[in-house]
Amino acid sequence: MLAIKGGKILTITQGTIEGGTILIEDGKILDVGVDVQIPEGAEVIDATGKVVMPGLVEAQCHLGIVEESIGWAGADSDETTDPATPQMRVIDGIKANADEGGLRAALETGVTTIQVLPGSGNVIAGTAAVLKTAPKTVVDEMVVRNPSGMKITFGDMPRRVYGQTQKKTPSTRMGIAGILREWLVKAQNYMRKKEVAKEDPSKMPDKDLKLEALEPVLRGEIPLLAHAHRADDIASVVRVAEEFGVKVVWHHATEGHRVAEWVARKGIPAVHGPAMRRGTWEMREMSFKTAKVLHDAGVKIAITTDATSQAIRLLPLVAALYVKNGLPRDVALRAMTINPAEILGIADRVGSIERGKDADLRILSGDPLNIKSKVEMVLIDGKVLYSA
Amino acid sequence: MLAIKGGRILTVTKGIIEEGVILVEGGKIVEVGRDVRIPEGAEVIDATGKVVMPGLVEAHCHIGIIEESVGWAGSDGNEATDPVTPHLRAIDAIKANADEKGLQAALETGVTTAQILPGSANVIGGTGVVVKTAPKTTVDEMVLRNPSGLKVALGENPRRVYGQGLKRMPATRMGVAALLREWLVKAQNYMRKKELAKKDPSKMPDKDLKLETLQLVLEGKIPLRVHAHRADDIATAVRIAEEFGISLSWEHATEGHRIAKWIASKGVPAVWGPSLMGRPKWEMRELNFETPKVLHEAGVKFAIQTDAVGSGIRFLPLCAAMAVKHGLPWEAALKAVTITPAEILGVADRLGSIERGKDADLRILSGDPFDPMTEVEMVIVDGEVLVGR
Repeated sequence: MLAIKGGKILTITQGTIEGGTILIEDGKILDVGVDVQIPEGAEVIDATGKVVMPGLVEAQCHLGIVEESIGWAGADSDETTDPATPQMRVIDGIKANADEGGLRAALETGVTTIQVLPGSGNVIAGTAAVLKTAPKTVVDEMVVRNPSGMKITFGDMPRRVYGQTQKKTPSTRMGIAGILREWLVKAQNYMRKKEVAKEDPSKMPDKDLKLEALEPVLRGEIPLLAHAHRADDIASVVRVAEEFGVKVVWHHATEGHRVAEWVARKGIPAVHGPAMRRGTWEMREMSFKTAKVLHDAGVKIAITTDATSQAIRLLPLVAALYVKNGLPRDVALRAMTINPAEILGIADRVGSIERGKDADLRILSGDPLNIKSKVEMVLIDGKVLYSA
Repeated sequence: MLAIKGGRILTVTKGIIEEGVILVEGGKIVEVGRDVRIPEGAEVIDATGKVVMPGLVEAHCHIGIIEESVGWAGSDGNEATDPVTPHLRAIDAIKANADEKGLQAALETGVTTAQILPGSANVIGGTGVVVKTAPKTTVDEMVLRNPSGLKVALGENPRRVYGQGLKRMPATRMGVAALLREWLVKAQNYMRKKELAKKDPSKMPDKDLKLETLQLVLEGKIPLRVHAHRADDIATAVRIAEEFGISLSWEHATEGHRIAKWIASKGVPAVWGPSLMGRPKWEMRELNFETPKVLHEAGVKFAIQTDAVGSGIRFLPLCAAMAVKHGLPWEAALKAVTITPAEILGVADRLGSIERGKDADLRILSGDPFDPMTEVEMVIVDGEVLVGR
């Protein structure tokens, strides 16, 4: 039994508790409140004067699959040899060890859950996985959800990698949409043949791992994780998605302000960012104001750093800059905790301080949106893994 | 009948016999012990003051297929034109003659058995073969086990050769894993069709040599020999092996210390090395001589290898000696170059220790096997003295 007492607890979903106590057992939050009795023999962490909040959730990053500070030898996110590689699995390229710089930075920032995605070189890049950032012997022990989605990319990236460099499809936005449709149709054909083979096993098609990977998308079990900066690109994604009845999460949403109400109407959440650098033409409208516009329109947003393209430790800073530009404080906090947890389909386990959830906690010297606040302690599954 | 008498016999599996006698007939050890009577007429080798041990077993090398000191003309280890070549067989490219420098060095060092594998450029490189190092007219006469495993490579090598060099899959670790899965699934599809054709011969698929080899793996007849330096790479190989229910050995195991307990719990044997070299690439940056000790203490079954010609095969005893210097028990080091590689290669019923009924593959030394000053005085393969006479 572990007790964290005296802190200002930001539960996220059930308000703020001043001078509250959190009880933890077997990695789970057993109780939380002001009048919680600490059982005899419990280990006690005194958080008086501190802020206690849930571990942050980063819904879009490449930690572990693009190892920090290494270059080619540790860069495994982009299988840019074929524009349609749904059979790639991010879990096959992730370094789990404690000394991976990016994962270490996540832990020290109090980012306790991450979704790791393949990169954006391919139209269909492969499946993502949701992991805890506690270091383990093998990545399989870090998994919260796998596969968690199918990464797709619209816009400049596949056009540059294939059309411009390799002189292959896609060289245009039409080509990108064409490839996505083509493979979704192939998977439909495959599923139909398997259905027919239920009555006549001799008709069973050869097992095909590309098409097997697309099946959960068509069955609605995992969403398309759609990399798109521009409004017209997400419109194309949604057009294709509606043709096939598949789910979409909008990743990056750089032009979110242009289509906020339309996206809200479609019920599509946005994983918004990175926010610190206008790297390409399609990112030229990048603004710290977009988050507010998306929120005001009713879009569920999560804030992302896209690490390692931007450092994971900047996640709270980006949230603070969104608040400076009009995003309500409580929404900014939700956008790093419960919102990404909901978007990733793991809100029953993480994203808020509630009885029964995983004891993934971040103890700070002060307000989470004050850049002077220090991360003093990070717990994952009830274990103190970082202490300043 | 040949008798070796008076030596300090390191049987490996049954302790040390001081001033023992080994009787050899028909290429086999017929007797070993202290009170063994030497039959009249036997040829006698006096090993008094010497150490007699089994011939060394090198579980992972490329001697004969990458001929030493020859360069391109003798370099046949890597068919780096296609990342998936399960139909290739190491035996088709091995120079058997006595003047191949690598094989000669093996024999002179007392490495009497070796597994020769294709290189690590391809995700699936082809089948390995276990041979005796006694020179023969053709390689076929050297064979102990063929095929002995299917070489698979994870990590930087296939990524560099294909993704970076040829701009083809795999460019990433994901791509390496995907190709391996893809071909195992193809073989499963092929096997299913052959099964269906038992009822209707007209449905028999065309024979496919790539898939025939993979079928041996899926049927459990040969293991994958998985080249992987990093812990996350072997974790990926184990993930895939478990998906398909196939067995594997971990070749190189450079980051073995990171994952020793986990790999022991999976029952995967490791073939550690090469070690007597620099750290030429990122994935080898943790290369150190403490790893064998960590593997041993975690309960991993492991052998020590030189990867010759990746490093010199004559350094095999020195690699083991360095591991001893860094904490590996002497007995464990001895096993790691004899009986354990024999077990990993599936030939322990024939060799790897000095026991009645086993092949008379012996190494007679001037002193302790892990003292670098020790000389190899005699090497015997199948009861024939090939070095030292």
